[in-house]
Amino acid sequence: MVDREPYKDPIELLQGTLDLLVLQTLTWGPQHGYGITQAIRASSGEALRVDTGSLYPALHRLERDGSVGSEWKTSENNQRVKVYRLTAAGRRRLTQERSRWNRLLEAMSGVLDASRAPA
Amino acid sequence: MTLGLPFARRRRRERELDAEIEGHLAAAIADRVARGQSPAEAAAEARREFGNEGLVKEAARSQWGFASLERFSQDVRYGLRLLRRSPGFAAVAILTLALGIGANTAILSVVNAILLKPLDYTDPDRLVVLLHKGRNPVAPGNYLDWKARVRSLSSLGAAESWSANLTSGDVPEKLSAMRMTADILPMLGVRPRLGRAFLPADDDAGRDHVVLLSDGLWRRRFAADPDVIGKAVTLNGEPYTVLGVLPAGFQFAPFWHTDAELWAPLDLRPRASSRESSSLRVFGRLKDGVSLETARHEVAAVTAALEREFPGTNRDVRVEGLRDKVVGDVRPALLVLLGAVGLVLLIACANVANMLLARASARRREIALRAAIGASRGRTVRQLLTESLVLAAAGGAAGVALGAWILRALLAFAPQSLPRLAEVRLDPRILLATFLVSLATGIGFGLAPALQASTARLQDALKDGGGSGGAREGGRLRRIFVAAEFAIALVLLVGAGLMARSFIALERIDPGFDPRGVVTLEVSVAGTRQAQPGRRQILYRQILERFAAIPGVKSAGAINHVPIAGDIWGFPYRIEGRPKPAPGQSPVAAYRAVLPGYFATMRLPILRGRDVAATDVAGAPGVVLVNEYLARRIWPGEDAIGKRISVDGPDDAPVWLTVIGVVKTAVQNDWSAPPDDEIYLSFLQRPGLTDSPHPQEAYATFVARTDGDPAALVPALRAAVWQIDRTLPISAVQAMPDVVAHANARPRFQMLLLAAFAAAAALLAAVGIYGVMSYVVSRRAREIGVRIALGARPRDVVRLVVGQGMAMALAGSGAGLLAAFLAARLMSRILYGIRPSDPPTYAGVAALLLAIGLAASYLPARRAARLDPMAALRAD
Repeated sequence: MVDREPYKDPIELLQGTLDLLVLQTLTWGPQHGYGITQAIRASSGEALRVDTGSLYPALHRLERDGSVGSEWKTSENNQRVKVYRLTAAGRRRLTQERSRWNRLLEAMSGVLDASRAPA
Repeated sequence: MTLGLPFARRRRRERELDAEIEGHLAAAIADRVARGQSPAEAAAEARREFGNEGLVKEAARSQWGFASLERFSQDVRYGLRLLRRSPGFAAVAILTLALGIGANTAILSVVNAILLKPLDYTDPDRLVVLLHKGRNPVAPGNYLDWKARVRSLSSLGAAESWSANLTSGDVPEKLSAMRMTADILPMLGVRPRLGRAFLPADDDAGRDHVVLLSDGLWRRRFAADPDVIGKAVTLNGEPYTVLGVLPAGFQFAPFWHTDAELWAPLDLRPRASSRESSSLRVFGRLKDGVSLETARHEVAAVTAALEREFPGTNRDVRVEGLRDKVVGDVRPALLVLLGAVGLVLLIACANVANMLLARASARRREIALRAAIGASRGRTVRQLLTESLVLAAAGGAAGVALGAWILRALLAFAPQSLPRLAEVRLDPRILLATFLVSLATGIGFGLAPALQASTARLQDALKDGGGSGGAREGGRLRRIFVAAEFAIALVLLVGAGLMARSFIALERIDPGFDPRGVVTLEVSVAGTRQAQPGRRQILYRQILERFAAIPGVKSAGAINHVPIAGDIWGFPYRIEGRPKPAPGQSPVAAYRAVLPGYFATMRLPILRGRDVAATDVAGAPGVVLVNEYLARRIWPGEDAIGKRISVDGPDDAPVWLTVIGVVKTAVQNDWSAPPDDEIYLSFLQRPGLTDSPHPQEAYATFVARTDGDPAALVPALRAAVWQIDRTLPISAVQAMPDVVAHANARPRFQMLLLAAFAAAAALLAAVGIYGVMSYVVSRRAREIGVRIALGARPRDVVRLVVGQGMAMALAGSGAGLLAAFLAARLMSRILYGIRPSDPPTYAGVAALLLAIGLAASYLPARRAARLDPMAALRAD
């Protein structure tokens, strides 16, 4: 029943990208944790499954550095849920993260394409 | 921020986290139900998808910032709970550490104060002592020559012991005092707290009756009077003026005459050409930039030149650092002790490491379970580490308490002759250092098993019932540790055994006389009216008569200096009919002068001839008794009685003394020194002793023998003296058995300490072997059960287990014997009458230790033999 592998070092593994995904998801409106996993899953065409063991630390970390705020709301089925929303700082952070991600993408594909050439 | 606040906040966040996860699950279930699943199916699947709730929480908590503090306190609480649950383990581990830390702290504090801390003078490491052979005093003429010629010393000063009868005030008192040249105090960098120090002009005749008081004397006899400067005191019957008071704690010289309380100027001019009578201790300060080596070379050159000018003088003058001189005698013993405690600490650490290793493998299952329910590896390691730290901290705290207690005990038992004893304190830096060692042990040996355990494959650990496979390596390490403990314990036991045998040899030395029931006291007449010529002969006889009349006193006698307790004078002597020896080549004998009755009172047998008599006075034919050693050495095969020797008179007309008796050879001042020449003259025939007003000669030491407790006699003896003359100072009141015990106090102290450490080491080694064998038995219960089920008899099981234990003990003892053989050579300087390689000691100690090992492994073996095979097989 215990899956050893995913818990090896989950936070470090996904850190930068997960933050980016969460921040991007919240641009569409405030959302609770489960909602965020579903949104990422849907918008990635089921390719990305966010592990709760990574999601909640990421949310709490982003909350601590002020990128997201949170409030408690009551859902339609009368359940108290913690809803996260993007703050102004979070928007700035998103812009930075996006440009960093793009640079990384460019750099990566540059390397990958170049390495193919001489072979 | 108070400590409570983060915990309150933390509890709130914990509740919120629970609610958040609950919300997550509820939303996921609602989602699935909406997609058409049954509620039960949806709940199960949502939970599965969510994953390990504990791990998620843990990961989320790790982002909260104050979690580490919280986690640490949680671990500490858990660690304490674990310790409470296994009090035996906790007690043994903590006591083991406490013993190691406590003993180390105490001994290191002593070593630090005595050996390492600088002396309390300015720039003390530049101070040197110049003595013949490193211990014998110097004659004034030689000192003045050195002062004039030696260039590598910036200053040179001399001091001489003195005694002063203080008769102004209520009680006459003989004070231990010193005369010193005006150079000494500036050389030491010491200034009086009141008044001024000596100036060279104070040496001038008529101005030299000035004194400096110690702080203690100033408080005791002068009520700490701030106006004491300029006051008159009567010393040895002469008026002196108080010049100043020295600072509290001032002690000089630190290696000789350490109880001096009074200092007067030393005028050497009347004796400037004397090269015979040696009484000075010479001190110097190295000139800036000059090394001790350079000074030694220069002094050697100067004294060699002087020896050519004045043959027979200036021989073998040694320049020694003052501190080396102070601690030189005790250094080897202290270093041996230091080594001993270091070894005990090593054993203690090995034992604790062993216990932690054993426990960690016993807990593999628990650790695997923790991992299974979501504890990360770092978390597990951190927790195990915290537990070891809790243990180490508890051991450290107990060690501090134990250390303070041991130090108090040490100081209570320590011989007062140990230098600088008053400076010994529990040193906080040393406490910290030993505490860190215990923490390091906790971390080091807590970490290894933690890492090992945390990487263990879960299924293996859970499957194999606590695990024997992965524990193999740990097992080997533990056995090596135990063997090492045995080796170390053996080294210590050999050390203690050698010390004990050396001490027994010391105790068995026949002092020549019978100290039991003898009490001694010194009566000084300097400065009283009894100092006048002709008075002392009467006074001393009166005192002896009164003593003899005291009920309980069997006999009484008197001598200038009693052996062991008193001073000792060496006199060069000549033998009639033998050629006059070259200057400085005369044989030297310990010089004693006795009144009738001394030998009988001391029960020091006169082997041939007679005691001195009341008629052996000045004017009558000179008489002398010699010890058997001298008689045999000088007149082998001849009768010494009737032979003649001389201790005074000019070279061409010596004053001959006829040998009237041969006395059994007795110890002189050093208990374990080899026998040496000794002569006993008739006190009444020595005009210096009977008529000189000089405090160095105007006294006698009385001895009285009783069948009862000698100390109980003292009040009656004092009263008897004071009935004759109330102004007579009485000093050096001692029961002879105490004096003898005191003479061996240092070796006894060393022996007891080493024995205590060796006992602790043997105990710890026994605990070690017991622990490992108990562990092995519990690990192998199933296998032993199978053996028993297959017909092994209890005896076979015992042999199996004991055999394993003894393998460790034998291996360790073998290595220990070799190590002890090498280490014991370091002890040769503190051993008496026994060689460091004494085979019976080694054999006895090894047998003892193996017996201890046997007993310690027999207990778990018996438990193993009584295993119920069915229960053992069913377990797990």
